[in-house]
Amino acid sequence: MTAPLKVENLQVAFRLHDADGRAHRVEAVGREGQGVSFEVPANTTVALVGESGSGKSVTAMALVRLLPRNAECAGRVLWRGDDLLQAPRAHMQRLRGHEIACVFQDPMSSLNPVLTVGAQIAEPLHKHLLMGRAAARARALELLAEVGIPEPRQRIDAYPHQLSGGQQQRVMIAMALACEPQLLIADEPTTALDVTIQRQILELLARLQAQRGLSMLFISHDLGVVGEIAQQVVVMRQGTVRERGTVADLFASPKDAYTKALLACRPRLDERPRRLTVIDDVLAEPAGAVAAPVREVDLDLDPRRADDDDPVVLQVDGLCKSFWLRSGLFGRMEFKAVQDVRFTLRRGHTLGVVGESGSGKTTMGLTLLRLHDAASGPLAGRVLFHGHDLLALAPADRLAMRRRIQIVFQNPYEALNPRFTIGQTLVEPMTIHGIGADAPGRERRARDWLVRVGLDADAMHKYPHEFSGGQRQRIAIARSLTLSPDVLVLDEAVAALDVSVQAQVLNLLKDLQDELGLAYIFISHDLAVVRFMADDVMVMKDGRVVEHRRTETLLAHPQDDYTRRLIGAVAQGPGPATPAQRALERPTAPRP
Amino acid sequence: MFAYLLRRLWQMIPTLLGVVLLVFFLFRKFGVDPVQTLASLNATPREIAEIRAQLGLNEPWWYQLAVFAKGIVTFDWGRSWATHETIAHLMATRLPATLTVTLPILVLDTLIAIPIALGVAYVRGSLTDRAIMVGTTVALSISFLVYVIVGQYLFGFQLGWFPVQGWSDSTWTNLVVYAPLPVLLAVLVGLSPQTRLYRSFFLDELGHDYVRTARAKGLTEPAVLFGHVLRNALIPILTNVGLGLPGILIGSFLIEVYFSIPGIGREVLLAVNRSDYPVIQAVTIYVAMLTMVANLVVDVSYRAVDPRVVLR
Amino acid sequence: MSEMPDFVSTSLVSTLADMAPPRRAAGVWRSAWRRFRRDGVGVVALAVVAAYAVLIACTGSGLVARHWQDEVGVPDAPPSFLGAPARATAGAAAPASAAAAAPAALDIADVDPLAPRYKEWNERAAQYHAQARPVAASLPFGGDRLGRDVLSKALKGTQISVSVGVLAAIVATLIGATLGALAGFFGGRVGDLVEWVYNVLTAVPEILLFFAFAAVFGRGISTLVLIMGLTGWTGQYRQVRAEFIKHSRREYVRAAEAIGASAGARMFRHILPNVSHVILVRMSLMVVGFIKAEVILSYLALGVATDQVSWGTMLAESQNELVLGHWWQLAAATIAMAVFVTAFSLMADAWRDALDPKLRGQR
Repeated sequence: MTAPLKVENLQVAFRLHDADGRAHRVEAVGREGQGVSFEVPANTTVALVGESGSGKSVTAMALVRLLPRNAECAGRVLWRGDDLLQAPRAHMQRLRGHEIACVFQDPMSSLNPVLTVGAQIAEPLHKHLLMGRAAARARALELLAEVGIPEPRQRIDAYPHQLSGGQQQRVMIAMALACEPQLLIADEPTTALDVTIQRQILELLARLQAQRGLSMLFISHDLGVVGEIAQQVVVMRQGTVRERGTVADLFASPKDAYTKALLACRPRLDERPRRLTVIDDVLAEPAGAVAAPVREVDLDLDPRRADDDDPVVLQVDGLCKSFWLRSGLFGRMEFKAVQDVRFTLRRGHTLGVVGESGSGKTTMGLTLLRLHDAASGPLAGRVLFHGHDLLALAPADRLAMRRRIQIVFQNPYEALNPRFTIGQTLVEPMTIHGIGADAPGRERRARDWLVRVGLDADAMHKYPHEFSGGQRQRIAIARSLTLSPDVLVLDEAVAALDVSVQAQVLNLLKDLQDELGLAYIFISHDLAVVRFMADDVMVMKDGRVVEHRRTETLLAHPQDDYTRRLIGAVAQGPGPATPAQRALERPTAPRP
Repeated sequence: MFAYLLRRLWQMIPTLLGVVLLVFFLFRKFGVDPVQTLASLNATPREIAEIRAQLGLNEPWWYQLAVFAKGIVTFDWGRSWATHETIAHLMATRLPATLTVTLPILVLDTLIAIPIALGVAYVRGSLTDRAIMVGTTVALSISFLVYVIVGQYLFGFQLGWFPVQGWSDSTWTNLVVYAPLPVLLAVLVGLSPQTRLYRSFFLDELGHDYVRTARAKGLTEPAVLFGHVLRNALIPILTNVGLGLPGILIGSFLIEVYFSIPGIGREVLLAVNRSDYPVIQAVTIYVAMLTMVANLVVDVSYRAVDPRVVLR
Repeated sequence: MSEMPDFVSTSLVSTLADMAPPRRAAGVWRSAWRRFRRDGVGVVALAVVAAYAVLIACTGSGLVARHWQDEVGVPDAPPSFLGAPARATAGAAAPASAAAAAPAALDIADVDPLAPRYKEWNERAAQYHAQARPVAASLPFGGDRLGRDVLSKALKGTQISVSVGVLAAIVATLIGATLGALAGFFGGRVGDLVEWVYNVLTAVPEILLFFAFAAVFGRGISTLVLIMGLTGWTGQYRQVRAEFIKHSRREYVRAAEAIGASAGARMFRHILPNVSHVILVRMSLMVVGFIKAEVILSYLALGVATDQVSWGTMLAESQNELVLGHWWQLAAATIAMAVFVTAFSLMADAWRDALDPKLRGQR
């Protein structure tokens, strides 16, 4: 039986205006006449994997012609024999929601905030199946139950903002499956969700796919997730297909250099190499070289053992931070964001802080740097830095404190002032603290730091928008290091970066730590990254510390339930216990 | 809800106080001495002193302020210096005339601008869109005055479709005979900015993710515009209508002056020309109060339009 | 202009930037100027506004239209481009016919008590040389009811109306932006106080405030600018406050705080350059708004002083002229205003698009 969806030589280009207003074409999918081709067979999940700029989302949207007006498509997209790229608009409108359905990344913004959940699910039922109101409502209730929404009768008249992120995504899935489509396009459906919720949604999608015998096109940047849910994989890079194959084949013996690199530079839960592989290491291998298992390159485990003899840099005791929230007519209530956190940080060590959204980990980081307004809520505890309590500092002494403890934020696109040149950004902290004898001296230091973090010295005169995310994050790191701090707080510093870029930045951080003896507080939701970076791990939930011990011990023998769930939720790739596998084992009868 | 209303009414007090203070000090400090206005040119010093005492101008300023405030609270606005009519009576008789003109304008403006803006949003980027945008820019560059002058000349004088001026005692006659020309002119002028504004609201909404979801469900463009975009755009549209509500109380004084409609706007203008302070002060404060109430009404009605709003 | 698919992540934008041909680093204003240059409509509008600016400079310095108050034409002189006026000769003929009619009058010298004095008076009058000022029968764009040159009035009026609008916009922007920055950045008590002032001023409809101030302060250009500046800052305040609140939460400002930048440095060195284009765009909108307000206020005799001319006073006079069929003053004022406001609005739109394509759609 031929595959219902066949993509042949698809090319998509956008007509854009660059910064000067000149028009030019940017190829997003396909390069120089060579387009993207793949198939999605019946009753199969095919994953489109790639980093940012790979064109995977654009490909998916091109299939259903949901691209913006300045997109130009070429090639063929055959759905049951009809070329969708040539189909008239009315035909596409009949197909969408009925035979081909979509689930998008951010459910909060993808659902209409002023319509009830039930109304939105009923819409495609009215349009495609011509159901009346009562019938549509009944069917919506069934769908809500099927996707696992508790108490569907109450939820059906709720508005999207009244549901949690996971529930909103379930509603999106229910809406997509309402008219029993044959193809489900899921564009990064779990990326915006917490790790534990992510696992639930993956299992739901796998179960539904198996039960209904759907074809699913699953787009993701996360190879681990892909390994767990897909049967076939298409790897894309910069608009071209690098490799196609079954999941088992791809993970076991990847053929393309880029695929190998992508697989290799993920940090793993089970071991801690000295450095992560980066793309360039792998791509630089000569073509005819024997395909040695890549992992051997990094297999020397980290020889640097976290020594308990290293001097203590930071000692935190009983740290509590709450916020005032308005309640009632005139009153206010206290929201405890961080409760009773304590730890000791030594020179050259890294403390990993892990938790999901709302755990208080970011608040804790900001509190250490006194970045909260005093009026926002009460603060308690002690933060001893070489004997001085940072929380009790007089305002005049705070400036000196800023030299000792610095922070790098999550979003590299917002971390740098768009109107400052890189030189201005780097020189500013030195000017404030009086480092360096004069302006040329400071510029020299700034240039040194730029080179140290791996950028060209001529970046001094450029603006942030000329750099990629990874490069901007390096500049942000350089900025905090110009003050030569002792402690660096990294608040989800690599979360917004692609896997390959993430590897580079993590390696850089490790190198800097070795060179300068920095102590890191590494805040993250990603256990694998924390495994790579941290000596000790502190797990936080709802503002409290749930577990705190050495990394290896915590991962090997987690004591708390929540920790166990967190570890279990990490998507590691294909294996016997993945959702896809489990779903395959269940007896499935394709829906008539 | 009750707690919310209570809190809002409580919050209105400082603002009202501020308006009272503003009006009081503005007119006392910078204004003309009221005695000069009220006394005749040949008044003797004794007469002047009598008038002063009568107006209570010899008291300390905080006493005068208290008297002023008391007048507001008891709705005793005093009398016009020019006509000796009680201001309460003045406002009661002039307000209906103003509303007869301004309410139809507000309603028609909004009702007509929405479909036009929807239509323009539908054809966005096309030549029609650009033409309409340029057309509205040009239309907006001509002063309202010119429309009124030319409009009255053309439709009233030359073509004779409407009476040039006039007002009667019957609301029905006013609505049907005398109000149409001014309303027509005001709506024509108001269409340009409203259409542009509403178009920008619709375009903003079209850029949101939920529109992509709606298209992914297979809905046609009109269905997306009407069923999804319009519902969301009602929120800023409501804000905009709310901003225009205070205006309907003061009326369009230009229209009232030009068409000799006895409304509040015209009264205030006359008062300004005659330095009739009590009228100006009273109308300012009265309108400020009504404006705050109108804002409260709009805020409460957000609840009906935007389910995310929580009135706390 | 640049229309990135909304769902494409920002990282794709950055990658595309990598793929674009490299060029020298350009600051915001320079690259905005380059984008602006490509917008044909914007450039034409800029040229028109520049022409007006030159005109205003000439008028203001007295090079042009200095004697707009002189009555150089017959009352209601028609425009020259309409052709030779018939009525002017009729007007000139009237005194002639009156003079010709004089000899036919009755001789009432014997009952006229003033008769003996006529001879004396005629002798005395002969000592004075009456110089009849040459009065034009038609003027380039016609004359108003006093015979003043409409073209000169239009030029002078342009200077007055536009200067009032621009000056008032500058005053209002300075007040609104400063208060907005303080309220948005600090919040707390300072913010509450400014919000209170804002609430008080917006509780009263703007035009009523104008009336109240006008009743108290009287007429004149400086009072006008003062009134409009003091009451019109609220829009700019609201916008700047929102922008400062938004930016003070952004990571680059947090980072600035983390490295120890002072509050003033954060507000004016970090945030202000990122907000300045918004302020300028709104200021240009305010210019248009204030010009229109001045026109209406002058029409109502609440604006410029009686001895000055503006588009508003011209429109006020033209109201009565129209019924008599004298349309040229109305036309002159309307055209002068329409061309300027249209050009200015289109130019401001083009600048807004050039400065930040993402701002498009916001008014």
